[in-house]
Amino acid sequence: MPTEVTSSLLRELQSIVGENRVRTDDDALVQYGKDWTSAYEPKPCAIIFPGCIEEVQAIVRLARREKLSIVPSGGRTGLSGGAVATRGELILALDRMNAIGDFNPVDRTVSCGAGVITEQLQQFAEQQGLFYPVDFASSGSSQIGGNISTNAGGIKVIRYGMTREWVAGLKVVTGTGELLDLNRGLVKNNAGYDLRQLVIGAEGTLGVVVEATMRLSRPPKELAVLVLGVPDMSAIMEVLSVYQGAMDLSAFEFFSELALQKVVEHQKLQRPFDTPTDYYALIEIEVSGEADMDTAMALFEQCVETGWVLDGVVSTSIAQAAALWRLREDISETISRWTPYKNDISTLISRVPAFLLEVEAVVNEQYPDFEIIWFGHIGDGNVHLNVLKPEHLSMDEFQLRCSEVSRWVFEIVQRFGGSIAAEHGVGLLKKDYLHYSRSELEVQIMRQIKQAFDPAGIMNPGKVFDQ
Amino acid sequence: MKVLVTVKRVVDYNVKVRAKADGSDVDLNNVKMAINPFCEIAVEEAVRLKEAGTATEVVVVSVGAKQCQEQIRTALALGADRGIHVETEGAVEPLVVAKLLKGVVEKEEPRLVILGKQSIDGDNNQTGQMLGALTNMPQGTFASEVAIDGDKVNVTREVDAGMQTISLNLPAIVTSDLRLNEPRYASLPNIMKAKKKPLDVFSPADLGVEVTSHITQLSVAPPAERQAGIIVESVEQLVDKLKNEAKVIS
Repeated sequence: MPTEVTSSLLRELQSIVGENRVRTDDDALVQYGKDWTSAYEPKPCAIIFPGCIEEVQAIVRLARREKLSIVPSGGRTGLSGGAVATRGELILALDRMNAIGDFNPVDRTVSCGAGVITEQLQQFAEQQGLFYPVDFASSGSSQIGGNISTNAGGIKVIRYGMTREWVAGLKVVTGTGELLDLNRGLVKNNAGYDLRQLVIGAEGTLGVVVEATMRLSRPPKELAVLVLGVPDMSAIMEVLSVYQGAMDLSAFEFFSELALQKVVEHQKLQRPFDTPTDYYALIEIEVSGEADMDTAMALFEQCVETGWVLDGVVSTSIAQAAALWRLREDISETISRWTPYKNDISTLISRVPAFLLEVEAVVNEQYPDFEIIWFGHIGDGNVHLNVLKPEHLSMDEFQLRCSEVSRWVFEIVQRFGGSIAAEHGVGLLKKDYLHYSRSELEVQIMRQIKQAFDPAGIMNPGKVFDQ
Repeated sequence: MKVLVTVKRVVDYNVKVRAKADGSDVDLNNVKMAINPFCEIAVEEAVRLKEAGTATEVVVVSVGAKQCQEQIRTALALGADRGIHVETEGAVEPLVVAKLLKGVVEKEEPRLVILGKQSIDGDNNQTGQMLGALTNMPQGTFASEVAIDGDKVNVTREVDAGMQTISLNLPAIVTSDLRLNEPRYASLPNIMKAKKKPLDVFSPADLGVEVTSHITQLSVAPPAERQAGIIVESVEQLVDKLKNEAKVIS
């Protein structure tokens, strides 16, 4: 495959979108060629910026004729290399298709171009007195098309589910350049297979998501954030079950003392309370009146009496709620200076404590010089394992040893029936480990599905699995 | 040393407030309320004085409707020892609040009164100063540092030219600025303990004050909406617009 685009092909691409909308300069190639992973060297042949669905179709048809692979590109905030172009692919950037279209207040849906930024949709919803609940640290840069292609999760999954729950309709350009108009916003539609669900989370391997009809929700009333100090992992699960049994939680997150220490030190934040505990639970609740707060207090008392909770604080203003959230949300950014090896794994919620103990035992035994930082959306069974690079190790040596860690960890994931890619997707990063979570038959059927959508194999090839 | 600290219940400062449709007032329906941020800093300072052994008792007072007991309870959870609620109806202006506080000061005889420098709803920045005039106590406003020194309190103030440190004879009045401290979170065990702390309720009549009004609010309107920006096609067009439309260059 060429890493440079021939001048005749360049002219043809330009004739579709306009001269200024195909870029081949080095800056753009690097910027658009990678996502938030740093392990891959970007090497696309060009970046093209279509402005409408017809242009996307024309580009895909041309690419098919020229046997040129396409990497669909949104905000590129992914963490698995799904939007990385390393093999001379053409990057199809949806940035310009960022219009918010028809809003339907009765159905509570709105149509969005694939390039609409998540925050843009959140703000639009707010202006209508509604709420788009999928939220994560990168919502200021990530795009709806990318959210759909990765089925993005984030911090409110426990209450609102993943992006999948909010996609009411989808327009997709397949690998043949044809347009699929899937589900058209319907709530009920059992007329055959739901192809929409196949495209969601397919990481661009089946086609390009060009437009989506997104559902909106009623906004929550007042939100309060609690941070509780918890002695061990099994107590965290008890606290989860106590609170979940009595209240609507919109988030249940956890992080370890080491994570808190690093965040407090580097982000200059205030510790929630002085008592150090091994783990912390962050709980977000919707407060409709005084009764809800009383319930939260009574549950806290109950957890203290049983020894599951040692101390805790609650936000009394929106600013405090945001400051408490930073203790959890700033972890990724804080630890990035140690170029951590990251894993995004999940298991059944009930099996999380046993699972963490096993992983920790293995890492401690095999790599006593590694610092481990745990955090995650424990309310949905998803934890992020982060191993910090010790200073005395070179990057190469560290990565080598971490890939050994991966195998150990993924074997445990497999034994627990969990997933090696909980919310970040497979991309390039997890491709070699897919078999720990998926059977051979499953992967074979995935290949056949890809064949049906993309017979020439030009849509983001080499991601998720090899053809 | 007894310290009296004041708190006001206001709209949470992160809430985007809206004017009522008839323009008569700000719409407070279903809006998150919180302690005025400057008052929260005042409470934190009082509690720190107690933790340092300088203050022996911290009394928190709030003037307003029944619901402001919620903010008194929060202050009690942050470490104040007991609460006083002066229950009033409708909006009370700074002079009335200052008169009511004077009544509380006469009852409690604190050595130090700490107030927020202003509330974020009225933005008047008057109550502390008026209380100083009414009680004839010295005042240190816009404090960024407070240090008790025997019978005196040294207050470092943020003024236009920089920092100014003044020494006041106790009893004195201090109003807090933003940099005085960073308030702590309300701990859940302390919120529970706060429920059992004493809270007395007085009416203006109990304090011998008649609530009068000198100010009539005529209307409340939202700020003018900002127009959306445009993307210009070329540098020439930008220069042309700067010259002929914005008239910022010639």
